[in-house]
Amino acid sequence: MELVQIQRRLVDYTKSLFMEGFLDAQFLQLQQLQDDSNPDFVFEVVSLFFEDFEKLLNELTIALDQPNVDFKKLDSHVHQLKGSSSSIGAQRVKNACIAFRNYCDVQNIEGCLTCLQQVKQECYLVKNKFETLFRLEQQIMASGGSVPTIELGF
Amino acid sequence: MLIEFDFHQCNIDGNQTLSTYANSSFSSRKKHVWYKQPVDNQTGKLYGEPVRSHSFNVVNTSWFQVALNHSSGYSSLENGWNNGGEPLFLTSVSLLGKGVIAMGVPVKRLTDRLGGINLYGGSLSLITMDGKLLLNGIPNTKFIYVNGTIFLQFMWPNGVKNFPCSNDTPETYKVDTDGKEYNVRCSTVEISGVQSVYALALPHEGIASFVYSKINYSHIALVVTMVLLVIPLVFFVSSMITNAQREICLHDKLIKQMEATQQAERKSMNKSLALVGASHDIRAALAGITGFIDLCLANAAPGSDFETYLKQMSLCAQDLLGLLNSILDTSKIEAGMMNLEEQEFNLADLIEHVVDLYHPVGMIKGVDVVLDPCDGSIIKLSQAKGDRGKLKQILSNILSNAVKFTVEGHVCVRAWVGKHDFETEILASTRKGLGKYVPRLFSDKNEGNGDVKAESAVRQNRDLVEIVFEVDDTGKGIPKEKQKSVFENYVQVKETAAGQVGTGLGLGIVQSLVHLMGGEIGIVDKEFGEKGTCFRFTVFLTACETQGAAMYGGTNSSFAIRNSSPKLGIRTPSPNLDGSQVVLFMRNIERRRVSQKFLESLGISVLVVDHCHHFPSALKKIQSKLNSLLNSSRRSDMSCRSDISSSSSKEMPLSAMEGTEHKLPFNRRKDTPSFNLLVIDVNAESFSELWRTVAEFRRGLHSTCCKVIWLDKPTSPCIDPKRLDSRDEILLQPFHGSRLHRVIKLLSEFGNLSQGISSSSESSKHPYGKTRLRHTQGNDEIQGYVSSSNERYSKQGSSSPTLERTRGRLKSKRKNKDGAESSNGEKPLIGKRILIAEDNKMLSILAITTATQLGADVEHCENGNEALELVCDGLKAQRNYDYILMDCQMLPMNGYEATRRIRIEEERYGVRIPIIALTAHTSGTEAMEAGMDAHLNKPLKTNELMEVIESIETKE
Repeated sequence: MELVQIQRRLVDYTKSLFMEGFLDAQFLQLQQLQDDSNPDFVFEVVSLFFEDFEKLLNELTIALDQPNVDFKKLDSHVHQLKGSSSSIGAQRVKNACIAFRNYCDVQNIEGCLTCLQQVKQECYLVKNKFETLFRLEQQIMASGGSVPTIELGF
Repeated sequence: MLIEFDFHQCNIDGNQTLSTYANSSFSSRKKHVWYKQPVDNQTGKLYGEPVRSHSFNVVNTSWFQVALNHSSGYSSLENGWNNGGEPLFLTSVSLLGKGVIAMGVPVKRLTDRLGGINLYGGSLSLITMDGKLLLNGIPNTKFIYVNGTIFLQFMWPNGVKNFPCSNDTPETYKVDTDGKEYNVRCSTVEISGVQSVYALALPHEGIASFVYSKINYSHIALVVTMVLLVIPLVFFVSSMITNAQREICLHDKLIKQMEATQQAERKSMNKSLALVGASHDIRAALAGITGFIDLCLANAAPGSDFETYLKQMSLCAQDLLGLLNSILDTSKIEAGMMNLEEQEFNLADLIEHVVDLYHPVGMIKGVDVVLDPCDGSIIKLSQAKGDRGKLKQILSNILSNAVKFTVEGHVCVRAWVGKHDFETEILASTRKGLGKYVPRLFSDKNEGNGDVKAESAVRQNRDLVEIVFEVDDTGKGIPKEKQKSVFENYVQVKETAAGQVGTGLGLGIVQSLVHLMGGEIGIVDKEFGEKGTCFRFTVFLTACETQGAAMYGGTNSSFAIRNSSPKLGIRTPSPNLDGSQVVLFMRNIERRRVSQKFLESLGISVLVVDHCHHFPSALKKIQSKLNSLLNSSRRSDMSCRSDISSSSSKEMPLSAMEGTEHKLPFNRRKDTPSFNLLVIDVNAESFSELWRTVAEFRRGLHSTCCKVIWLDKPTSPCIDPKRLDSRDEILLQPFHGSRLHRVIKLLSEFGNLSQGISSSSESSKHPYGKTRLRHTQGNDEIQGYVSSSNERYSKQGSSSPTLERTRGRLKSKRKNKDGAESSNGEKPLIGKRILIAEDNKMLSILAITTATQLGADVEHCENGNEALELVCDGLKAQRNYDYILMDCQMLPMNGYEATRRIRIEEERYGVRIPIIALTAHTSGTEAMEAGMDAHLNKPLKTNELMEVIESIETKE
């Protein structure tokens, strides 16, 4: 595929991620932190996020499987996940976490379970999105082009 | 000779008591002389003349003799000697045996008195002992005298019966006469000394029967009273019973109703919860779909049908997402999870932005979307604090509805600051307090208690201003009976909604949002015959006026005041002939009206031309008026002539003096000619036609400055820029808001320094010769325009405030956006040592990178213990950290605890390291209590970090 086209597609794709609310301004901040000294910064952080949420989701699932759910522990896990997701700008995961915490506050197991499913869904979805994004970037890099910076009015 | 009154008698004769007396001397016994003299009834004394009377033969009567011989008086019944000799009770007393005084009372008087007594059917008989009958009242009886005893003899047809009567003790006999029983009572009685016998016959049951008959009456009366008492009592009791029964019935119904309500509420609650869950799920699925569509798009051959279809799918998915989001909003509101996110923003900009967004949409349909500044209070307010996003959502929703349902005419958006004092506010809030019970005008059942709470919280703040919005369209309108229900969820007015899509949630959400912001929403009644609907809603925002003033305060203080609002600019109203003349030529009625009203409210003389035929004639009128004025004042004519040809050397001192306001009108009157501004909507007439007219007008004016603003459609520009005069400007529709203000600022009263020829000379020097006011969506163009005009204006020592403002905003925006870029150049934290305590690996990498990019020397640790150790080491080695960024929730020691310990440790060394908390919560109170200096919300942002560090430095 032509380089310009891929670049255009990347821009479009990133824009769509913002429009659909997957990402927010924090991701732009993240991108700004990436410079020549650490060219893979975004990728690293996002990968860390993937590891993080896998671990946290696992713990959340286990915590909710217990006969006596420790809501405090649950809440702190969700809190961590919320922190992680908001750090990379995964807005929808963050929003799902907020809803999750509300259920934790009222100790609603049903709601928590629903929310866990939701959070999982959002996590994997955003993971998917990121992977697509990185693949596009890699394609561009492989073709010898530069990743276009995204200008969005935030 | 002794004259003695030997006889003296008093007797009552008729009504007059008379005394009859005679003197007697035994010597002249044969002849007595009698006198009569009246006696006073009261005193018993004689009065008047004694009259000589004929003589009475009393001396020879037995009673006289007896009385004469008795030492103590004597009483008897005698025949009187007066008036025919009626019987008298005579009491006589002898006077020393020589005379007698006697007093007589007529028997008739007594019997009359006795006969007059009502004995209730009884009768009385009276007889003296010596057999003289005084009164015989008892029928069929007579007294008989046998052996010195008096008997009462009853005579019946079948016989005679005697009853002895002369006993001293009274005796009672029973007698039966004519079938009637009588009680006869006989006894002796002494009447003025005369022994007599009386018999009293009373019917056996005479008085008793009378009493009995009276008792009957009283019984009847009693019974009637009782009955009268009992009837109301019965009535009362029965009504009480009916009431009680009704009440019980109502209670019963109420209980049933309440149960039903509770059930319904429960159902609705469950439904909302299910809806929240479902919509989340749907959204996730939808996100999946869009994701895969995107994936497919990435692989699709560009330009192929496949790609177009995929794009269509993507668009559909977007729409779906939009719908879903509105449903999600509703469920959020229902669940009471909607909160306000307060932030500072420029209200006027926001409104204009929203209106501008819908202007093109309306343009396509031929509907003009007009922003009416009203009294300009919104512009004055400028900075406000509130939930920007939600306000925008409200306004967009109503506006989009208005544009959607309007086929022709216009949509007018009005906004002003509501009159609002605290007393009414308090009243309002108390009313709201009762609002739970009192049905409100715009009651919303779905609104939870959280709403009410938020509302009252909003109302308690004192800096609040009420902003009133009106969106007025000329569409089909909403039928009266539907007006109340449009705010309910899922309700659509079907007649007008034909062919329009939507869930019917929009206005419901809008209403909830408005309530959340403490306001109210409703439909304002239009006057009869007017088309369309007018929505009005109010919101409460916090005013931040100091901010607004600071914004303008850049260059010149007087300027800042004058321009912070256009209205303030004209304290001294300019006389019409000297002031600027604005000619508005627009096709749209509403826009024309609004613009005219606003300009006139600023004291500008406005001439409105509504039809293209009138345009040339109107211009001619102004032309002749101006020319006559100029002829009358030669001086200004001169100055203006020079203006045209020469440079602005004459203007410069003027502009320098304009700083003082009082001199302004004076100066203008002296030197400045009136300034003409033509605002021409090109759509009204063909451009060339208009251009010709204007050119002619220009030629006709000898010297007066004349500037033309051409209004053009953004969609289809039809102005040929080459033909325009160098002073003219092209402005894209919509002509309102900031564009209107810009035009106003071109007028001399409002601080235009580059007016007239000076502007042309300035602009000709500049590459941006024809000052394009073209506002487009692209940032670049605005930036370019802004920077160039900045240079232009700053050359003259002051800049237009709008521009200043825009530039300021853009700058800050650029700073935010290109934070990395700017920091790369500066590295403000170079040489600083920062310790970052953060247990999450990802977050710590983020923080480290952020700080490193700012040039800092960063060390990292993973919990409070480590941080404490590192700080202690640093203190010992005299290598202190400049800042510590501390995560709050860490294990085993959290950030608060670590901070407390660090504070204790460092006290011994007499230093205080600034500690900045990193929290995921919005409030930093706990952090402050623990001794931290500031707090930042995670995730860490470059500009926020720099702000905090700067504020700490300035504090020190």
